[in-house]
Amino acid sequence: MIRKTGIQDFTKPGGQVAELEPADWMKLPAPYDQMDKPLKKLTEDQRKRMDATLDGVVAIGILPPSMPEEEKAFVDRFLAGVEKLFDAKDNWTFLQPLYHSLEYCVKCQICSDACPAYVASGRQDIYRPTMRPELLRRIISTYVKKEHPLLRKFKASNIELNAQALIRLAELAYRCTLCRRCAQVCLLGCDNALISREIRKIFSQQMGIAPKEVHEKGSVQQIKVGSSTGMTPPALADILEFTEEEIAEKTGKKIKIPVDKKGSDILLLHNAGEFLAWPENLEAFAILFDAAGIDWTLSSELVGYDAVNYGVWYDDVQFARVALRHAQAAKNLGVKRISLGECGHAHKAMIVVADRVLTGELNIPRESALPLMEKIVMSGRIKLDPGRNNFPVTLHDPCNMVRLMGIVEPQRRILRKIAPQFREMTPHGVENYCCGGGSGFAIIQSNNFPDWRSSVSGRMKLKQTLDAFADAPSADVKKYVCAPCSNCKGQYRELFNTYGVWEKSGIFYGGLVELIVNAMADLKQPFIQWEWH
Amino acid sequence: MGTLLIVLTYIAYVFIVAVYAIKVRKWLKLPVHIRWDLYPVIHEEQYRYGGSYYEKPEWWTQPRPKNTGRSLWHALKDNFYMGEYFKRNPLYWLFLLPWHLGFIFIILFHITCFFAATAMVGGVTIASDSPQLLGQIFYGILMAFAVIAFIGGTFGCIGMPVIKLADRGLRSYAMPMNYFNYFFFLIVYASGLYSWLALDPTLAEYRMYWVGLITLTPPDLNPATVFHIILFDIFLIYLPFTRSTHYITRLLAYFKIRWDDEPNFRGSMLEKQLNDLLAQKLSWDAPHILKGQSWVEAAISSGLPETKPETKKD
Ligand code: SF4
Ligand code: SF4
Repeated sequence: MIRKTGIQDFTKPGGQVAELEPADWMKLPAPYDQMDKPLKKLTEDQRKRMDATLDGVVAIGILPPSMPEEEKAFVDRFLAGVEKLFDAKDNWTFLQPLYHSLEYCVKCQICSDACPAYVASGRQDIYRPTMRPELLRRIISTYVKKEHPLLRKFKASNIELNAQALIRLAELAYRCTLCRRCAQVCLLGCDNALISREIRKIFSQQMGIAPKEVHEKGSVQQIKVGSSTGMTPPALADILEFTEEEIAEKTGKKIKIPVDKKGSDILLLHNAGEFLAWPENLEAFAILFDAAGIDWTLSSELVGYDAVNYGVWYDDVQFARVALRHAQAAKNLGVKRISLGECGHAHKAMIVVADRVLTGELNIPRESALPLMEKIVMSGRIKLDPGRNNFPVTLHDPCNMVRLMGIVEPQRRILRKIAPQFREMTPHGVENYCCGGGSGFAIIQSNNFPDWRSSVSGRMKLKQTLDAFADAPSADVKKYVCAPCSNCKGQYRELFNTYGVWEKSGIFYGGLVELIVNAMADLKQPFIQWEWH
Repeated sequence: MGTLLIVLTYIAYVFIVAVYAIKVRKWLKLPVHIRWDLYPVIHEEQYRYGGSYYEKPEWWTQPRPKNTGRSLWHALKDNFYMGEYFKRNPLYWLFLLPWHLGFIFIILFHITCFFAATAMVGGVTIASDSPQLLGQIFYGILMAFAVIAFIGGTFGCIGMPVIKLADRGLRSYAMPMNYFNYFFFLIVYASGLYSWLALDPTLAEYRMYWVGLITLTPPDLNPATVFHIILFDIFLIYLPFTRSTHYITRLLAYFKIRWDDEPNFRGSMLEKQLNDLLAQKLSWDAPHILKGQSWVEAAISSGLPETKPETKKD
């Protein structure tokens, strides 16, 4: 039974604000409807070390202050951060959309049912897109603007703040994938996803608090050693050598992957996760670009070989640092343009968000690799045999590329040409559902967060993926979800592993370029090997 | 009484226009922000499916046609139709739309009264059987606007608290101010409805009142109409304290946030603005940010502990 949670419950010290029970969750199609297990409970020891009183789940793991003075300092520090959000110097980056969303939302709740996390959870009140903004609004009214108590009563904007409520708020900011589906339906132009990000920003930029996978082992590690995966330039060289051998083995083609080739037309930026988890994506790009005669290169410069920019999820300064280093790598190579491989958040970060950070010589033209792939496929330069992809294929739309950038059709035109059994999910395109791993979720592996990600934030995607293949449920029919984004692939891997989707339904996941290469008529054997990983 | 009515009306109009202008100016004065577009972007060529110029290879070498008229129409039509509500919560829409139409049409009614009164001063007779076509048109429009405003507004003001209380999501986010508004606005619309139905079926009194406003001659009106007009003036003064500016700011948010896909080209005005913003100093307190650095300096620095100077400036 869903416990009705009011905003006032949020600040009550002590117990958990919401209880997540599998019986409440949105139903999945059979046989997956019988598989849900309660989320892993934190151990006593973990509960001592981190506050889990939001929903029993931990993404950040914040130790609550024990002394009253510490608690006061914690709250004061947060409030100082809230003030900085409204400072045009500290937050020019998002002040206008933030101000608009806080000021003009009429709390009509139309956005709630657009939110996959809220709906999939069985409509838990705490996951309403409006919950985070409302808490922030009340904090501002009570502690920043210090409005008169009567006015606060009239506006129901009072709140009694304590450290635990703030820790819950910090955690709650990491129950939103920033997919912005809620923002899309708002007729007033308010953006509750942005507010999730702004709350994350206060915690990171003011208090140094963020999930360790996102900050310490994420953007900090990327700046320090070159990649959030920990991959150093010498390790990159080894991996590329291995990749070339793999290509030769699979295709018989001797392809030299160009690295640091000065003056190239294109610097290709891959999410370094591909190098380690899905090298076939990197191989397919190399095969396709080689066959099409593209003048391209990779960079081996620190940060220049990992397209990720986790700052886009939580911290403007970390964002700017990484974007600057990407642009610098391109400038050092003297390339004409930067092309982003199959990584959604890297697309959004480098092409769109960085557009108002990079100026002068660092403002090098940047584009998605998808239109280029479409150009190659449609040009007829490469002989493609769609018969090689004659299995059911559906397409996942990564939010960052599609709803947030408007790259909708190139991938579809490609699939219509090379995949005879291509079918859409419902809904799709700019109305797609997030994979559930967006905004850093796919990389957060600590505590019981992965459980929440598979059971709640990824639930809607799992359902619509299964629905797309409802005409061929048997595991004997091999099916392919095309997810042109590393992050989304990570989430698919996790979802499918949790529910045993490969074994039960024969659904495989992979990128777009792999399907193109799989259709290349001159390859002796199929490129896609259907080996689960 | 007539003089008081004229003074109050002028104060109300000047007040609402001034406060709305201040609010809109405040919105517009906020600095250029990072791009945060959301598709579909209606001025785009491929807006039907939400496509953008990023779908074209080497997009910066291609034309980027923008259809601003279409965007404007798209944004404005929702003020009158609110389709997303119809799609997602039809019962709520049933009350919300008339509630909004009440606002829009009561204001349109008064604006039209002003023009009609100007025409009357110029010799036009406003009536269904006016010898001048213009008089007949004005009469028809005025009647239509008033009927939609009074009936729609009254219906909306009764329905809104009911649906707010009945729907858990709406109820838990409702504030006392909402219920006050429903009650106050109900009196405004219902008083107008009453004086129209019971006393002034052709709405001639409003025209007299507006002629009085234009010619600064205190009109002699029925007390019920006077009551409604006073309430309407207070309504105008109160409106800017509600979230009603959203009629305007939602358009700004569409054009300047959601659909703002203006790329930053080297040497552009935008680039100049951005350089100024990036030169500003930061004051965030987290360990990876050095207080007092500009955005540019912060971005160049790594923010790693070993590269930070010993002392932190405050
Ligand atoms: S964000 Fe928009 S849709 Fe959601 S409650 Fe506020 S006004 Fe309504
Ligand atoms: S951005 Fe997505 S996950 Fe976050 S509140 Fe909105 S719809 Fe829900």
